[in-house]
Order: sequence, then C-alpha cells, then structure tokens
Amino acid sequence: MKAIDIALKDMSHSFRSTSAVVFMFGIPLLVTAMFYFMFGNIASEGDFSLPRTKVVIADLDEGGPEFQVNTKNIPGGKDAHTMGQLIIGILQSEKMSDLIEVSLVPDAESAHTAVDSQAAQVALIIPPDFSKQFADLNGKAVIEFYQDPTLTIGPSIIRSILNRFMDGMSSVKIAVNVFLDEADPKDDVLAGQVVDEYLHISLAESDDPEKDLLDVRSASSAPVDKSAETTNVLLRIVSQIMAGMMVFYAFYTGTSTAQSILKEEEDRTLPRLFTTPTSQATILTGKFLAVFMTVLVQIIVLIIASKLIFGIRWGEFGPVALVVAGTVFSASSFGIFVNSLLKSTRQGGAIFGGVLTVTGMLGMISVFAAGSPTAAILSDTVSLLVPQGWAVRGLQQVMNGQPLASVLISFLGLLAWGAVFFIVGVLRFNKRYA
Amino acid sequence: MNNSAAIEVLDLYRSFGETRAVQGISFEVIQGEIFSLLGPNGAGKTTAISMLSCLLRPDKGDARIMGHSIISNPNEVKAVLGVVPQEIALYEDLTARENLTFWGKMYGLRGSALRRRVDEVLDIIGLRDRANERVGKYSGGMKRRVNIGVALLHKPQVIYMDEPTVGIDPQSRRNILDSVVSLKDQGMTVLYTTHYMEEAQELSNHIAIMDHGKLMAYGTHEDLVKLVGQQTRIDLTLNVDAGRVLNVWRALEGVTRVSAEDGKISVLVDDSNLVLPRLFESAAKLSTRITSVDIQEPNLEAVFLHLTGRALRD
Repeated sequence: MKAIDIALKDMSHSFRSTSAVVFMFGIPLLVTAMFYFMFGNIASEGDFSLPRTKVVIADLDEGGPEFQVNTKNIPGGKDAHTMGQLIIGILQSEKMSDLIEVSLVPDAESAHTAVDSQAAQVALIIPPDFSKQFADLNGKAVIEFYQDPTLTIGPSIIRSILNRFMDGMSSVKIAVNVFLDEADPKDDVLAGQVVDEYLHISLAESDDPEKDLLDVRSASSAPVDKSAETTNVLLRIVSQIMAGMMVFYAFYTGTSTAQSILKEEEDRTLPRLFTTPTSQATILTGKFLAVFMTVLVQIIVLIIASKLIFGIRWGEFGPVALVVAGTVFSASSFGIFVNSLLKSTRQGGAIFGGVLTVTGMLGMISVFAAGSPTAAILSDTVSLLVPQGWAVRGLQQVMNGQPLASVLISFLGLLAWGAVFFIVGVLRFNKRYA
Repeated sequence: MNNSAAIEVLDLYRSFGETRAVQGISFEVIQGEIFSLLGPNGAGKTTAISMLSCLLRPDKGDARIMGHSIISNPNEVKAVLGVVPQEIALYEDLTARENLTFWGKMYGLRGSALRRRVDEVLDIIGLRDRANERVGKYSGGMKRRVNIGVALLHKPQVIYMDEPTVGIDPQSRRNILDSVVSLKDQGMTVLYTTHYMEEAQELSNHIAIMDHGKLMAYGTHEDLVKLVGQQTRIDLTLNVDAGRVLNVWRALEGVTRVSAEDGKISVLVDDSNLVLPRLFESAAKLSTRITSVDIQEPNLEAVFLHLTGRALRD
C-alpha cells in the first residue's frame, strides 16, 4: 500500500509538470501531426497525388505448358499466358495508373540501366523460368526487385502490391499441394479445377481486386475523400512515425521519471523516507512503480489520441496490449538502469540526451529505412541492438496484423532487455542505499 | 539500560574514508527532556543524528531508542521516532496538506485518523489557513514549520531536530523554539542539535558539546559553565594585526587563554576588572590601539573556547 502511495505521489508530480506533459504527449503528437498535415492539407486541396512511380519490367518469363491456369479469374490477367504477363497486367491496370507508370524493356541489363540512370525508380526482372517454377510444386518463383536506394514511398508501394500478389499465388500452390497429397497425383484436370476454384474464391470474388492487392493493413480506416489506396499509403507513413515517436518518448519518459529517485536524494526527501517505518524495498518499489505507471499512461493516451486524431489503426487488442506491456517494462527498466549509473541529476542532462538520442535513433532506423530493401535488412538488424528497436518492431507487427507468434518474439525481446536493465538497476540502487 | 533513558548512545563511531566524523560518543537522554548537541559546523552532529535515525550504520557501537537497538531493531526505532532534518525535506510541488497526508501514510496513518491528525498538525504549526497552498510558494520559515510538522504526525515518543532554525527570520525562529518547548511539555523527548549557544542555553535540560567528532563535555548548563570556573571572556579588536600583542597578553597575570580569529581576540580572564587595564596598558606600550571591547560573563561560548581553544561560531 505504501508503495502505491509513493507511486501515486510521483505520478502526481509528473503530471503536474507542464514540461513533462509536453514531452510525454505534446511532442510525439505534434511531430506526427506535422507529417499528417503536411500530406493531409495537400490532399484536402483536391490536387494531391503521390508522384507516379516509374517501373520498368524486363519480362523474360517463357511460360510453359505446365502453366494452364484459367487466368480470367485473376485481376489484370485476362490476356495473360504466363505469370510474368499476369504481373504486368496487374501493374498496368487502370486503377493503378495514378500510382504506377509501367514500361517494358527487353532484358535485365536495360532494366538495371533505367534505374541506375534514374529513368525509372523500380525495375522488375521476371526470370525465364518464373512460370515453370511457379507450376513446379517444389520450385521457387523469384522476381528480382531493383530500386533506386534513395527512394522509399514509391518502391514500397510496388513491393506491397507484389507481396500481396505473390502471397495470393503462394496460397494457390499450397492448395494444390494439399490436394495432391489427398488425391491421385495424376489427376491433372481435377488439380486445374482446384487451382481455378481457389483463384476464384481468393481473388476474383472481390468487388475490387486491385484494391485488395493494394490494401495496407496498418493504414487508417478514417474516411478521407480520396482514393483508399492513396489514403492508406499516407496513413501508413503517419502510423510508422507515430509508432516511432511513441517509443522514443516512452523511453524518454521512463528515464526522466526514474530520475525522481536521484532528485529525491538531492532534495533530501529520500533520506527522510528512509527514516520512516517504511522498508527500503517498499520505497524503491514505489519509485519503480511510478515509472511503470507513468509510461503506461503515456502510451495508452498516445494510442487513443493518435487513433482519434489521425485515425491510426493499431491492431487487435491482445497483440497491442502485449507489445505495450513489453514496451512499458522495457522503457521503465531502461530509465531505472540509466539513472542507477548516475551520481546526480546534473550528470543526467548530458547523458540522457546522448543515450536517448543514440538508442532512440537506432531503434527507429527501421521506420526511416522502410522501402529501401538493402537498408531495410540492415536497419532491421541494427535496430534490434537496442530495446527501442524491439518496441518499434512489435508495433509495426501489430499494425500489420502479423500473427501472435511473431509479436510474441518482439514481446520476449522487450522482456529480455527490460529484465536485464531492471535487475542491474535495482541491484545498483539497492547497493547505493544499503 | 537506565529505565528513564529515552536515548542511550553507546560508543558510536563512523568514518567517511579518511574522515573520522564521529569518534566514540556516548551519552544518555532522559525521557521527556530537551537534550542539545552543541557544536560548530562539521563537529559531527548530523552524522550522529543520522546514525540515531538508522540512516547511517555505525562502524562501531550501538544506540537504544526507547529500548530498541538502532542496529538490530531499526524498524521499531523508526516507529517511535520523528526526525526533523536540517534541510527542508518536503515536496515543493505539493501543498502543505498533501505533504502531511503523504508523510502520514508513510508513518502508517490512514483514513479518518490521518485526516484528523493532519488537521491537528496544521494547527500546531499554525498553517491551517494556508494548508492548500503549494509548499514551494511558502517562505523559508513556513517551510521549516511544515518540515517540523511532518515529524509530529505519528505522535513520536522521541523527536530529533537537526539545526531547525538555520537560515530563518527571527519571528519563525521564535515560533520554532516555542514549539520545541511545547513538544517537551507534551511529554516528548527532544534531541536538538544546534551551533547557536543561545538556543542550547534557553531550551536544554542537558547539553553535550561536540567538536571534531568527539564529545567534549556533557551536563546541564550550570555544570558546563562551571568547567570554566567564574572566568569572563573579553573580546577585543585592534587597529593593527593581532599577532603583535598575543604573546604579551598570554603572559599577563590573570589571563588564562588568548585566541585570535578573523581579527577578533578572545581573552579568558579570572577578573575582568583587574585584567582589562593591563590589556590597555600593554597595548599602549606596543603602540597598538584597542578599538572595541566586549565583556562576556561565563557562558557556553566560553566553555567551548575553554575546551577547544576556538570560538563556537567559527
């Protein structure tokens, strides 16, 4: 009970401080709002559109007798006889024309040259055996994706479309595999019907198949008088920034709130607490609890506020709660750990700035590197060197609707970082006040 | 243990690195009395109080507060103890009432008992009408009063007050000294540290004089004054450097001790009427003019000078 009293007192202190409230809630929302309005205002003027992404395609796909799918069920695939033609058909469809400008080149070298000379932003090289590999149940169909590394939004749109397409086609392969396991493997006609039916169900029954292929699950459902595709892509960016800001400032709050331990030591209220019949463990528990509660309140408020203001769809409650719990624990423990290394609050200013900026930027690097394949792989790895990276990854996963198992890994990562920080921090503080 | 002793200090030691802050002090404080630890800054008073508050663990020795050992029963000690630290130890962004309520909870008070006691303490410290103002907006004296109020919340049997009048205005100081006497009247035992001789003299039943971590003397005011006999202290200033006369004056008949600090010379004498003319005479022979003279009857200041060779306020 005394621990809760201490925590409530500390929280009251935090939320009475104007500067703390501004840093906890104001700045993350403000930064996100800057991005939101930067695009949103343009959109509201009625002439907004993302710049069209120039895509060159070297379709080397030779098709094959094995590829016998009834392509009328596939969006954009009405005249397609190979998988490569299917992809070209989708990217050239009318509804994509606002976003994508497709041109064909005869070979891979021309495609590379177009991107290298900045005549195009993305090159797709569809290999000769693409259809064969797709038709081969044990094969692997691969497209080479070559992009201008300085660009993010356009290439990420193309990648998103292709991923959705390839996911759908992979589902077909799985369906056929399952069928062949259960039926006579030589019953080709039946297999073809299965493929046909599956495509019909999975893609063709949609009222707007191109829209399905463009759906970005982290994007807002907020009604904007623009095409859903454009809105979704823009809000996806806003969502990413909000997630990054929230994590950055959650760690800031964890660190600055935990500083109250040092502040109380300097103000002599901590020694005075030690003269009351309240154990050291209770006092420190109360102080730590205050850090956890403050960060928790901050994240909950930011999630609700950003949903209401920007229409950000954070994902299912369960996975979101899991990532939030991990982030709160990790951010709070990080704050306790950093403060346990300090002798005084005077040291804090410089060290907080450095530590929080470096770890925060490392953690958010994946947000800014999205869309650049090479950078994305590297940044995903680098960002996991700091707890902020795990938090950002977890939020991205829940926003993208990834399965609980993937989210669980991020949660465990956060938990592991948090546990290490918490144990070291508590040991150091216990030793300090022993 | 003496049954009437509220505090029994048994050979306490504490060092910080090479600095020996407290070097084997022992004394007893009788229940219901005001006991002053008198000494200059750096004498070891606060370190002693910190050990008796269970904030610092002694290197050696023990103390019993209402029969509870500070080493083996710190929680029992804290339950019977109220501590008024030297610095203001309050939450400045909380109101006086919020501060008292929070600290009351730390002493285990809850609900209506807590609310009632907070009101009582606000009355005692005379701040009920300003209870809902943030402490940060209070004057130094008002903060000191809240600082004391916190220690009274759980009606402790023993209260430590560590230099509670440092840096405040005369009116607030008077108010605090009156409340200390009032606490004694309510049956509390008060351990009071100060470097103001007048406060120790006015308040205390017993006084211990500390310097350099050691207890130099211990007793009632009268007992301590007897240590310097009936000696009078004469404080003088000269128009030249004091070094010119020190050795001459030390050799004068009737002079017990001569010390000089910050341009002021203190001379302990048996009879000021006899010695004062001799001081003027020898000064004149040395072509030195005495520019001021202040004659002090025997008091704690003189005791301290007698015991340490230094003035108490230095």
